[in-house]
Amino acid sequence: MDVVATRSQLAAALARVASGDRAALRIVYQDTSAKLFGVCLRILNDRSEAEDVLQDVYVTVWRKAASFDPARASPITWLVAIARNRAIDRLRASAVSRRAEPIETAEDVRDEAPAALDLVVAAEQQARLKTCLGELEERQSSVIRSAFLDGMTYEQLAERMKVPLGTMKSWIRRGLMKLRACLER
Amino acid sequence: MSETDHNGTPGDDGRVVAAEYVLGVLDATERHAAAQRIEYDADFAREVAFWEEKLGGLVDQVRPVTPPETAWSRIEAVISAPAVAPQRGGLWNSLPFWRIFAIGSAAVAAACIAALVFLGTGVLRDERAPLLANIRQKDSGQPGFVAAVGAGGTLVIVPASLLTADQKSMELWLIPAAPTGTTATPRSLGLIAPNQPVRITVPPQLVPLVTRDASLAVSLEEPGGSKTGAPSDQIIAVGGLTNL
Repeated sequence: MDVVATRSQLAAALARVASGDRAALRIVYQDTSAKLFGVCLRILNDRSEAEDVLQDVYVTVWRKAASFDPARASPITWLVAIARNRAIDRLRASAVSRRAEPIETAEDVRDEAPAALDLVVAAEQQARLKTCLGELEERQSSVIRSAFLDGMTYEQLAERMKVPLGTMKSWIRRGLMKLRACLER
Repeated sequence: MSETDHNGTPGDDGRVVAAEYVLGVLDATERHAAAQRIEYDADFAREVAFWEEKLGGLVDQVRPVTPPETAWSRIEAVISAPAVAPQRGGLWNSLPFWRIFAIGSAAVAAACIAALVFLGTGVLRDERAPLLANIRQKDSGQPGFVAAVGAGGTLVIVPASLLTADQKSMELWLIPAAPTGTTATPRSLGLIAPNQPVRITVPPQLVPLVTRDASLAVSLEEPGGSKTGAPSDQIIAVGGLTNL
């Protein structure tokens, strides 16, 4: 299925969800739940928590589908944002981080799962992001990727990379602003 | 929020914070503040949308994992509750509500609160905020029921887990707040169902006793409910009433 068709089908399904169509939610779920579950699992590192959050996510989609505006966001971006926000909120709410094992780096995962999201994010946009990340220092793009995918705080990232907190903040902030300038070009 | 000087122009600071919010590096307090800012600061909201759109592609690197089949059943159960329809506005956009929803100890309970609040349209019409109770099972501490009571005395109670009553009836009790050292007399609010939401109108004489310090309890009774006017010794779940 090509990207454009999938995007518009998802957007159409979300519009039907907004009018209370449960079958449409089922379609959205079928098309996106594996990806969103992967996103939640990566952040929470705990299957049962990730399942709870996944449920929250689709119940939220059911309620808030009317606030999805296809002119302003792509359907998958909207869904991923909900899933990441729920998962990160859950992670922050749990007092003790359960991360006992080292986190896979973004590059490791990429190698194992090539082109996993090809159906949802437009190729040009992906390419642009990749180019712009490539313009950053290696350590900057690497921590930005990890932060996004693992939902780690500045403190956790600083600890993991064994640099002072201030250094980590400044890497990331400078990286983000540079990235912004590049993405806008 | 950040170490960047805030000199009154929302521009740069807002840009940084929006990016940090989407990236996910903020702690719980900062995230909460940023989430609120989306609601009232349109420029900030636009920045957040920009980053969500641009960085969203990074999930490309996340391996999809098929969720268990039960996941869909749970979702379907929540959205199929009667009178639960997509809605906008009101409580649905209330941050405290979503915070509870997001950090509730059991997502099942949270989902039930959601179902409950939407079922309880009568509850919502009240001017004052409803009181909520997370009625936990006494033996396991797991959520048993979630209840909401509006100021007008409309109470909705939803099972938060799969409960069975076998041959018994389940009865709901209001345990009014009692001064220290004294014991309150439980007042029956009627029978409830172990497997479906029930709406109860609290008797007018009991409405003044439905306060923040009161509790709700569920007991197992002989079929038809307590004949003595007091609960049996089989109280299976209890929870205090709190503001949303």
